[in-house]
Amino acid sequence: MDDMEDDTTIFSTLKSFKSLISCPDRSLLETEPAFGRSGLQNLYTKRVELEEAAERVRSHTNLLQLTQEKQQMELSHKRARIELEKEANSSSRDLQREIDRNRELLLQIRRLEEREEKANQALNEQMENNKALKRNFEELHKKANEKDSKLAEADQMISELKDETRRLNQQIQIQESKFSTQNLEIQALQEQLDVQRKYEFTHTQMYTIFLIPSNKCICTLERRLALQEQDSVIVKNMKSEVARLPELEREIKRLREENTFLRETKENNSLLREETEGLRRKLERMERAMEEKLKVEKPEDLSREVIQIQQRELNLKQQNYTLNSSIRSVEKARTELMPEIAQLRAKAQEEQKKRENQDSLVRRLQKRVLLLTKERDGMRAILESYDSELATSEYSPQLMLRVKEAEDMLQKVQTHNTEMEKLHCIVFVFLRQKIEELESERQQLEEQNNILEMRLERHNLQGGYDPVTTKVIHLQMNPTSIAKQQRTEEVEQLRVECQRLRDRLRKIEAGGGMTTDDTTLIIPPSQEILDLRKQMESAELKNQRLKEVFQKKIQEFRTACYVLTGYQIDITVENQYRLTSVYAEHMEDSLLFKSTGPVGSMQLLETDFSRTLTGLVDLHLFHQKSIPVFLSAVTIELFSRQTVT
Amino acid sequence: MSKTLKGITLKGSAELVAEFFSFGINSILYQRGIYPAETFTRVTQYDMSLQLTTDAKLKNYLTNVISQLKEWLFDCTVQKLVVVITCLETNEVLERWQFDLECDKTFFLPDQCKYESIQEEIRSVIRQITATVTFLPLLETACAFDLLIYTDKDLEVPEQWEESGPQLIDQSEEVRLRSFTTTIHKVNSMVAYKRTNST
Repeated sequence: MDDMEDDTTIFSTLKSFKSLISCPDRSLLETEPAFGRSGLQNLYTKRVELEEAAERVRSHTNLLQLTQEKQQMELSHKRARIELEKEANSSSRDLQREIDRNRELLLQIRRLEEREEKANQALNEQMENNKALKRNFEELHKKANEKDSKLAEADQMISELKDETRRLNQQIQIQESKFSTQNLEIQALQEQLDVQRKYEFTHTQMYTIFLIPSNKCICTLERRLALQEQDSVIVKNMKSEVARLPELEREIKRLREENTFLRETKENNSLLREETEGLRRKLERMERAMEEKLKVEKPEDLSREVIQIQQRELNLKQQNYTLNSSIRSVEKARTELMPEIAQLRAKAQEEQKKRENQDSLVRRLQKRVLLLTKERDGMRAILESYDSELATSEYSPQLMLRVKEAEDMLQKVQTHNTEMEKLHCIVFVFLRQKIEELESERQQLEEQNNILEMRLERHNLQGGYDPVTTKVIHLQMNPTSIAKQQRTEEVEQLRVECQRLRDRLRKIEAGGGMTTDDTTLIIPPSQEILDLRKQMESAELKNQRLKEVFQKKIQEFRTACYVLTGYQIDITVENQYRLTSVYAEHMEDSLLFKSTGPVGSMQLLETDFSRTLTGLVDLHLFHQKSIPVFLSAVTIELFSRQTVT
Repeated sequence: MSKTLKGITLKGSAELVAEFFSFGINSILYQRGIYPAETFTRVTQYDMSLQLTTDAKLKNYLTNVISQLKEWLFDCTVQKLVVVITCLETNEVLERWQFDLECDKTFFLPDQCKYESIQEEIRSVIRQITATVTFLPLLETACAFDLLIYTDKDLEVPEQWEESGPQLIDQSEEVRLRSFTTTIHKVNSMVAYKRTNST
């Protein structure tokens, strides 16, 4: 970079010299008035030399440009090298990182595999646990079912027992009711006994007291018996009357037979009447015939026949009359007998009714007799019991026994019930607890199952697989492996290049300037470039020498100027010249001139020092418009100041 | 080929599924930018326009895998096909496109023609693959892909194939996509991608 600055200063000074040289008269006169001819000759020679130098320089501008380009290339090479180094470093770092990552990933893979195995084992164990729990659950369920069945049986037993208890209770109640009624009766009878005992006069009095109702009963019985006897007398009468009945029935039969006979005779009568009518008709016909025949036959026969017929007629009439008379007599008899028959029938009906009444009476009486006999037996038993006193009653101990037995049974049943209920409660509670536990376990297992299923699903989605049943394969020559191979090759190549560049750098740094490269760059060097390089090297050398010479000369020139003019002229900025006087009181006292225009006109710029010289500035610069005069005036001023002080 | 079939046979179903995979993988490579878009050309399939690669090496690789896959589909020995997208710089797996295969070996001979419905289903799956680009994280680095096939353990590994790991994603998000079925083969699609820190 310093070379660059030097080059720019050199170029700028060259330009200034060119400009100065272009106006040779003025510049020479202005800048070097004190020189003699020898100086001019020297100057000329120097000018010639400088021109030659300039020509050389011009001819070498191309080379410098080449050098610039070469330097730029070097810079770019440096940059490329640096970048490649960086890349190499970064790639090496990446490699290391990748290696580390690889290791870490391998470790992770191992860990994950281990975790997978553990998870699988855990899964299997969980499945086995699940199965075992399911079996347990089933067993418990069976047990619960058995116990339920047992409970049902027990319930049935309980219900049956309850029914039995109910029946027994009912029986007991019935017996109790009987017992209570009997107790009531007993109480009543006891009261009666007490009443009787209260009125304990004598046995006879008790008997009489007893007998009063019994007597009453006996009286009633006697009355009934009397009534019965009356009834029996009535019955006897009725029996006697009823005994007449068969006779009457016989009479009735007789009469009926007579009736039938009479009806038959009546019929015969009617028949006979018809016969007589028929005979009469016949007679009439005969008479007609006889009349007819009389004309023809003999009258004697006729008279005989007539007599016969008349006799017959008479007989018949007699018969008729007799029959009629008999009929009338029979009818009379019948009519006489009819009311008797009616009377007898009415009597028979009455007697029948009476007999029925008597029969009903007899039945009632018989029933009454039975009841009375029962009452009598009961009373007799009571009497007997009262005789034997009420201390020993036969039927209550049995009842008591039965009641006791029933109570014992009840108590047993109740205790059994309570025990069973307790057992049932305990069993229920136990079973419920077990069921709750099993259900909670089942829920937990279900949740675990769901979680594991979700994990499996997730595993499957992420690409996991069961190594026992599945394997993963791919083509050996697949794009990723090819790309990775290419990458590694690239990295290798870059590394090699980096190494080469590093070596070259080292050699360049060691060799300094231009050295022939043993390490060939990627671009193979052509002949032109070699020539140019040689030219460049030579030009560089020349340039360096020129620089040195130029520097020396410049230095000499500047010192000469300083000494001769009394001003040190520095170029601070482009087109600005700082003049420092040899007699300056302070180091900072300086005058600044700015070049305006290419002609060489200068302007004074304001400085602190120039402000102190305003008078001179006005006089020499504004009025006289001459910078050299001004400068000399300043020199004189300063000199005078120095010498005075 | 399948259009002329009145019904679906095992061979026809294997071909349908293999064809789907070939176009599906091409779509994935195009959508995710694994290969430059200019290396793809447009073709018409399933009544929609799809991208197919013209890169010879890639084509060769795909035909190798798909032809082998067709055989295994016919034998019903393949369980999954996975497209693994790996970042080349970090060697991390960034995306996994997983296609689960279920083979119904108890199929009955030619079922009534459902080719149009199968085609419709395949269309919707491929459209969904295209749509997933909206939520998948950008693949900024250079990536390469690999095809993994999950098969039965006892399958004989052919010559040019080798066993590999499942190449799972560390910290992944999974999304289930549509599935389609030919009544003999059922294909379930899903995509898993590496969770980015910003999401």
